[in-house]
Amino acid sequence: MFINAMGLILADTSTSQMRELTKPRALAAVPFAGRYRIIDFMLSSLVNSGVISVGVLTSNKYKSLMDHLGNGAAWDLSRKNKGLYILPPFVNTESYGQTGDVDGLSGVLDFFRMNTFKYVIVGGGNVIFNTTFNDIVAVHEGSGADVSIMYNRDTAYLDENSLILDMDDNGWVESIYLNPVGRISDCVSLNVFIIKRELLIELIQQAISRGDRDMTLEGLLRRNNKLHMRGYEFSGSCLRINSVHSYFAATMRLLKDDVRKELFMNENRIFTKVKDEAPSLYSSDCEVSDSLISDGCRIYGNVEGSMLFRSVTVSPGAKLRNCIIMQNVHISEGCVLENVIIDKNSILRPGIKLIGQPNYPVLIGKGSVV
Amino acid sequence: MPKNQIIAMILAGGQGSRLGVLTKNLAKPAVPFGSRYRIVDFTLSNCSNSGIETVGVLTQYQPLDLNTYIGNGQPWDLDRLYGGAFILPPYQKSRGSDWYKGTANAIYQNTQFVDNYEPKYVLILSGDHIYKMNYANMLKSHIDSNADATIAVIEVPWQEASRFGIMNTNKESYITEFDEKPQDPKSNLASMGVYIFTWKTLKKKLEEDEAEPSSSHDFGKDIIPSLLKDRRKLLAYHFSGYWKDVGTIESLWEANMDILDKPEDINLTDSSWRIYSRNPVKPAHYIGKGATVHNSCLTDGCVVEGCVEHSVIFNSVVVEKGAFVKDSILMPGSIIRKGAYLNKVIAGPEVVVGKNAKIGFTCFGESPYINTKICTNDITVIERGVTIKDNVEIPCNSMVENRDDIPESKSVIDNSSERKES
Repeated sequence: MFINAMGLILADTSTSQMRELTKPRALAAVPFAGRYRIIDFMLSSLVNSGVISVGVLTSNKYKSLMDHLGNGAAWDLSRKNKGLYILPPFVNTESYGQTGDVDGLSGVLDFFRMNTFKYVIVGGGNVIFNTTFNDIVAVHEGSGADVSIMYNRDTAYLDENSLILDMDDNGWVESIYLNPVGRISDCVSLNVFIIKRELLIELIQQAISRGDRDMTLEGLLRRNNKLHMRGYEFSGSCLRINSVHSYFAATMRLLKDDVRKELFMNENRIFTKVKDEAPSLYSSDCEVSDSLISDGCRIYGNVEGSMLFRSVTVSPGAKLRNCIIMQNVHISEGCVLENVIIDKNSILRPGIKLIGQPNYPVLIGKGSVV
Repeated sequence: MPKNQIIAMILAGGQGSRLGVLTKNLAKPAVPFGSRYRIVDFTLSNCSNSGIETVGVLTQYQPLDLNTYIGNGQPWDLDRLYGGAFILPPYQKSRGSDWYKGTANAIYQNTQFVDNYEPKYVLILSGDHIYKMNYANMLKSHIDSNADATIAVIEVPWQEASRFGIMNTNKESYITEFDEKPQDPKSNLASMGVYIFTWKTLKKKLEEDEAEPSSSHDFGKDIIPSLLKDRRKLLAYHFSGYWKDVGTIESLWEANMDILDKPEDINLTDSSWRIYSRNPVKPAHYIGKGATVHNSCLTDGCVVEGCVEHSVIFNSVVVEKGAFVKDSILMPGSIIRKGAYLNKVIAGPEVVVGKNAKIGFTCFGESPYINTKICTNDITVIERGVTIKDNVEIPCNSMVENRDDIPESKSVIDNSSERKES
């Protein structure tokens, strides 16, 4: 499979509402669906499209992201020529000490210049889907547009980060609104767009020379009214993660057969770092239903409508309902949990009772002892 | 450990005929084991965790799956710049070529491979045992005692000692005598098939053995007795811990069940001694509404809507609503349709069991598939990729396989191409 494009993933969104989930890590590195991190979906979609050169742009808290990505071997991106490039910020004479994505982008100009691919597929680090970009690149090439933006018509979880596209009847974008007052349209950007590599270099250079501060790449497109932009509708399953609420809701939607099938039982696989855990062991008197369970778990208690990440222990007499329990969490005897998210390496002492609400789950930060 | 002080050679060429249809198109070391492993993962992971960086895998019988599985050795961290994992099949030589005639001959034919690395010691392993062992400790004993060969031994119950190769030792743990499957064992120290040789000694012995026309070219039968006859120093290295030969259907079933019944024995969760495997890249497994899963282990990609009791389930297995699976081993990609009943079944990869089929439900009744020689202890085995038709009943101790010479097979096995559609 050949595609004349390279990939760029923006791993941070400084404005997301992820509370303690993004305290120790970038948004793209937030664990999702048991054995994945959010970035795995965009990264695997790029790889499954035949993209062999991917940059991951990150501005801070990138330790966890780098641990996860390593040299990119798990995505088949450990290559002699091209492959995975982690692009942490670095101060150079072009950046003038600015902050924001453009500041980061100034550091990646080199990455764009050393590649010769015609297009760049730019993606945010917050979409969960399993797709390929060959079609959108082909459509983009034939359309004569400067930029093609992927969108869908799922308005269920809009928040202050949602970009709404206002398009004419022929699919040309007239304007882009950030979390608009009132209803403009039901076309919500997936924060994935296709742009010519040379044009992107030009846009970044312009922004640097104007001294634009604290600007996101979306902003770069929004303020540049000379660009001809088109929308490209994505009709597959897609989950957006911008807040704890949407994170919780997205996980609960995974328990539904159709979403899970479309994301994972696809001919294209979602790759992730392999941990070589043991198989999960179910005891003689555990009760598990309607749940997704990862490897390495030990289950003695009751688990219902929940998502267990790797190596979670659920002790006898513990009861879990609608919970998201991340890697290596120990839940002691007699705990009762409902609508709770527990981040990695936490311990719940015996008999703890935590009840959250579906629209406001209780969130326990990484490494807590409760 | 300095580089290539020792290299490992894994004997993975045997047919494993006692595993019946499970090894029809597959070398025994490549047989799936323990929900997410293959048998050879244990030996390869032991090598990797012991710091051994060069591993030759000698293959001969049905090697294709095993070759693909091992690949460049990356899952076991054996993709090294100098060394790594190598598949070593028999090859053509300028003067005569031959299959591997025995375990010793297989090493002899690869003398040049070993010599390339100039190791002082060679570790000989078999790829069909389930255990965790630090070979570096064994090597230390070998070096400290200045032995010519060190053989790992494990105490087995006295009543079973006559099934093993038994080492009789003196007080200093040096081997005085070797009895292959003795009627009246003098000791209960069984050879684990793990040998460390000083390469110089072994190389010489292999050359002598090769010139001996009456030899069967086997380590246990020829090389070890001959070294003893030469009064060479042979050390017994005592190993205690979980060790299981999975050469028969019954022992394979037992070893799988040990993961459920005695998980602490083999302790797969030990992060200091991980057992690595090639990963299928599947999502977390899903347990449906109304499903029950007890006393079982599962791995990525499974979907369970029915009832699973005391079973070992591999990746991507589907157990539909109303299906009941007990004391069974379901290898990757098996599908158990609605209302099917499985008791003590080992289903090979990609087996489909039709609706309301009953397998191993009763031990009475007749079936052309009954094979009490291989399928002992009420265990039923189904060949890889076989689709069992709806409502079929198969008694236990059967070995269900695609065979043209069984006229009844048309009513049992579905060979149509759309069998995977539900």
